[in-house]
Amino acid sequence: MRSLRLPIPLLGLAALLALPGLAAAAQASPPPASPPSQSVLGFVGSDVCATCHTDVAEHLTATPHGKGKFASLSAHGCETCHGPGSAHVNNPDDPALRPRIDRLSPREQTAVCQKCHTGGQQFFWHGSVHETRGLSCESCHSIHAFKSEKAQLKAASTVEACLSCHKDVRADMWKNSHHPIREGKISCTDCHNPHGTQTRSLIKAASVNEQCYTCHAEKRGPFLWEHAPVRESCLNCHTPHGSNHQKLQKTATPYLCQQCHSNTRHPGTLYDATTLADQSRASNRIFNRACLDCHAAVHGSNNPSTPYLGH
Amino acid sequence: MRTKSNQFRKPFVLMAGLLLLAWANALAAQETTQPQDNAQATQTMEKETAPAATEAKAEPAKGFTFHVDPLVLGVIRTHVDTNSSKWEEYRDMSNGFVIPYLHLTGEGSGDRELDFNAKNVRREDARYTLFYGVPGSYELTLDYNKIPHRFGNDGHMLWTRTGPGRLEIADPIQAALQGAIAAQFATNPAGITYAFLNRLLSPYLATAQAINLGLERNRFLAQLDLGRMGPLSWGLEYDHEKRTGNRAYGGSFGFSNATELPEPIDYDTTGAQIAGEWNTATGGLSFGYRYSKFENNISTLIWDNPFRVTGATDPSAYTAPGAGSIGGSNVGLADLNPSNRADLLFLKGRTRFGSWFANASGAYDMMKQDDPLLPYTLNSSIRGINFNGTTFDPTTTANLPAHSADRKINTTALNADLGTRFGQSLDLTFRYRYYDLANKGKRIEFPGYVRFDAVWEGIGRVSVPYAYTRQNAGAELGWDLARATRLGFSFERESWNRKFREIKDSDENIWKVTFDTRPVPWFALRSSYQYGDRSIGPYNVAAGAEASFVDPEDPTNLPALRKFDEAARKQHLYTIQGQFFPSDTWSLFLGAVGNNQKFDESAFGLQKDDNNTYNAELSYAPGDNFNFFLFGSRQDRKVDQAARQSGATPSTNPLDNWFANIDETTDTWGAGLTSNFAKRWTLDLSANYSKSDGKVGLFSPPGGSPDVAVGFSNYDNVKLFSILGRVDYKINQYAKAGVFGRWEDYKIDSFILQGLSNYLPGALLLDPNYGDYRGSLVGVDLTFTF
Repeated sequence: MRSLRLPIPLLGLAALLALPGLAAAAQASPPPASPPSQSVLGFVGSDVCATCHTDVAEHLTATPHGKGKFASLSAHGCETCHGPGSAHVNNPDDPALRPRIDRLSPREQTAVCQKCHTGGQQFFWHGSVHETRGLSCESCHSIHAFKSEKAQLKAASTVEACLSCHKDVRADMWKNSHHPIREGKISCTDCHNPHGTQTRSLIKAASVNEQCYTCHAEKRGPFLWEHAPVRESCLNCHTPHGSNHQKLQKTATPYLCQQCHSNTRHPGTLYDATTLADQSRASNRIFNRACLDCHAAVHGSNNPSTPYLGH
Repeated sequence: MRTKSNQFRKPFVLMAGLLLLAWANALAAQETTQPQDNAQATQTMEKETAPAATEAKAEPAKGFTFHVDPLVLGVIRTHVDTNSSKWEEYRDMSNGFVIPYLHLTGEGSGDRELDFNAKNVRREDARYTLFYGVPGSYELTLDYNKIPHRFGNDGHMLWTRTGPGRLEIADPIQAALQGAIAAQFATNPAGITYAFLNRLLSPYLATAQAINLGLERNRFLAQLDLGRMGPLSWGLEYDHEKRTGNRAYGGSFGFSNATELPEPIDYDTTGAQIAGEWNTATGGLSFGYRYSKFENNISTLIWDNPFRVTGATDPSAYTAPGAGSIGGSNVGLADLNPSNRADLLFLKGRTRFGSWFANASGAYDMMKQDDPLLPYTLNSSIRGINFNGTTFDPTTTANLPAHSADRKINTTALNADLGTRFGQSLDLTFRYRYYDLANKGKRIEFPGYVRFDAVWEGIGRVSVPYAYTRQNAGAELGWDLARATRLGFSFERESWNRKFREIKDSDENIWKVTFDTRPVPWFALRSSYQYGDRSIGPYNVAAGAEASFVDPEDPTNLPALRKFDEAARKQHLYTIQGQFFPSDTWSLFLGAVGNNQKFDESAFGLQKDDNNTYNAELSYAPGDNFNFFLFGSRQDRKVDQAARQSGATPSTNPLDNWFANIDETTDTWGAGLTSNFAKRWTLDLSANYSKSDGKVGLFSPPGGSPDVAVGFSNYDNVKLFSILGRVDYKINQYAKAGVFGRWEDYKIDSFILQGLSNYLPGALLLDPNYGDYRGSLVGVDLTFTF
């Protein structure tokens, strides 16, 4: 009994089904988030803010926070997020009274945004790796000074926002084999949800393979002849962000295959430089695509005559 | 395949650009003569720019007011010194007039918005996105994305496509080759060598038809979101992708006759989703259903054997053509990726109660595939063989034990998080993950199979429904030491239970510590270290044979080999990154990321896989008019693996061992500069350089087999140097003109690609060009805003 044998799946499902009830019950409790500034002097209205912060107000009108939907959801304009501003208005030179959100802790900053942004992509922000590592919405987004076309990011694009921390992925993207990220055809958020998921590496699907199938549906099968490690994880052989080798392989063939297949006869045979040095004696098990020159169906096959996943 | 015909041949783009430029000038001139009006407009704008909450904004007139920002019209000229497909791997670099970007926005009454975004209009890498709706109330998004993927240009093949999935070689060519080989076999079988076959093929290869390998993905997506910012929202989605083209496929007729083919690709992938979400201040529930269907419109490939015009069989035909046999099929039969379908149900919930939060999600995915099975072979010479005392015909599907694949896999994912905070500084989260892959595919027993379409092998095989369950349970403790300083500890146990594999059960204990701080405004640190120790149950080297043979053969793999994905492992992962902000204008990033794995209990197979990456980035931005960055990265990868060469049975002689030590270093550099270097003038420059240097050190002790081992110094060594630049001149507030250019130099030295040609021993290859190139692009464009 090495593996977990608890009826936890059933418990988990029961808990899942109970969540709406818990949520409804919890409605009675006071809302957790409160405006950062708790001045008792009250709200002054956005018109007053705009008299000094003209450029900010102008910038805001082009964003969702400057439009009617926001107005219908918020009662106090700028002070919906910043909190009552009368203390600051009455004493504008006192920096301590400025209702600056960036002075708050990451959790407090996020709580301001999550007064509205709790669903959709942000559904699982609480408990996500970015939350527990101390990031806040402000780490990536800017309400007043954003550079991106979408999502009001501090960086020029989603990819640039992610790469501001994940520098190793930037290097991967420049490798010989890569997904078309730097060409702008797909983005980090096609596979990952940076706001939180319950899967490892914030991937959007329930497993790595199910994520890969969203674009590579032909690999989904299921197949008559399966390749067990392929069914378990595409990442056993591939690295998604970039590789020096063909097809995003972690290691070039034939050595990749030989990390598992050291069988009798040709799988365990050494293919070295001498097997390529003389073109007239070269081995078709190392040049071109090596093992895949014959075993083309490594992801699975439906042909009754191909239990070895090749023709 | 791709043609150049899609580029704009007519100069209407240029004419439109000139007209727009004239109009922009006229508009700018008009504005300079009306300063008072302009001032009034500014005042009006200021009033209107107050946030929406202040007071009712003046409603736009009925209908839409449109704004274009920007429309870019240009012309490009490219030059590349080779026809390498890498130059246009994921992009269209053809010459001509271009509309790289068009962005149209519209605002209507009732907060309606329209946003149209077009990139690379009418080119093979175009993308069009249309948004319409009232944000938060109803939002319709349509997206059409064309993604080219070129694999290789100027390949050559003897085959001609005569129908979907049918590749033929003219009968006279097959007959001539078969005849010549048969004559040689009759006189001296040993004379059927590579040199002999190469001489036969050369005249035909010299006139072989050229082929480019590549795909075009045309993706369409329609999304309708209803009530996104309300308590109850709905989302509807439809997507369709058409994939057409071809890619290289290994269709072998035997150990000495691998035939690389252009696999025809004609795929349709269709998806649809309906989802609902209910959110309150303290909880939420999300649920939905997703349908996905993949259809391969060419699921069978039949291709001619260049060396046989008639089918033949003999016990050694899988080695033909050679001294042992010249038999084999005249046609090959491959079952390409089968059509399939998946139905996914998902449910998510979250809640907060007091200082606690709970998240849970479940997903149930049903994957099915039931394509008709093909016959064992089309090699008519194998008909009527004596199999188990009866006459057997493997060329008809009537003799299959099943007529369709009938495969089903159901996956169940259940996840739960429960967390709480103790006071202001401590938090604790429990996590549980359950993922079960239940393979419901039937165990279909086949009495044998046809090897390489050449020989009936009466070895009973049975399909194997591999399955597994993975569970993760853990806890994470976080301690906020100060406002921006956090220490975290976590423990997680990952357990696998597999069916039909060598290791049934494995457990991994994973410990992790994280430390993140920004103690002072000028310095931030993020760091983590994780240690994983995976232990395994008994390793059954015979599991594969027991599962997939009707009468299991003796294991052919080495008893002491451990397949790395299941093997005992010790893993060290770390991340450390520091960011320094010595002033408002400077920032420096230094970081390292590592993933080091050791498989100490594996005598053969993967032994070690170490990845370490070191990054640095410097940026300087003294103001809006200038910024500069410099980025550098070094990645080191070291892989050790061991094997033993065997004959018909697994060798027990340590002198037959061989070892591979792979050492890869990749250096990546990038730099960028943006400068408003003079009034109205802007300069953008960026450069990237990536260089990978890989070596395979091979070793085998003397006295065994192999006796010597010679490694490679060109383990996929790749260099890519890319420079981009553009200069813009702002004509007025509505228009600017730009000159831009790109230069790239790509080189690859790969051990498996060295010396490739259309025919090498035992392989007829397409040999397309995806190698070195040096390419450049120059262009001019006009950018308008109105």
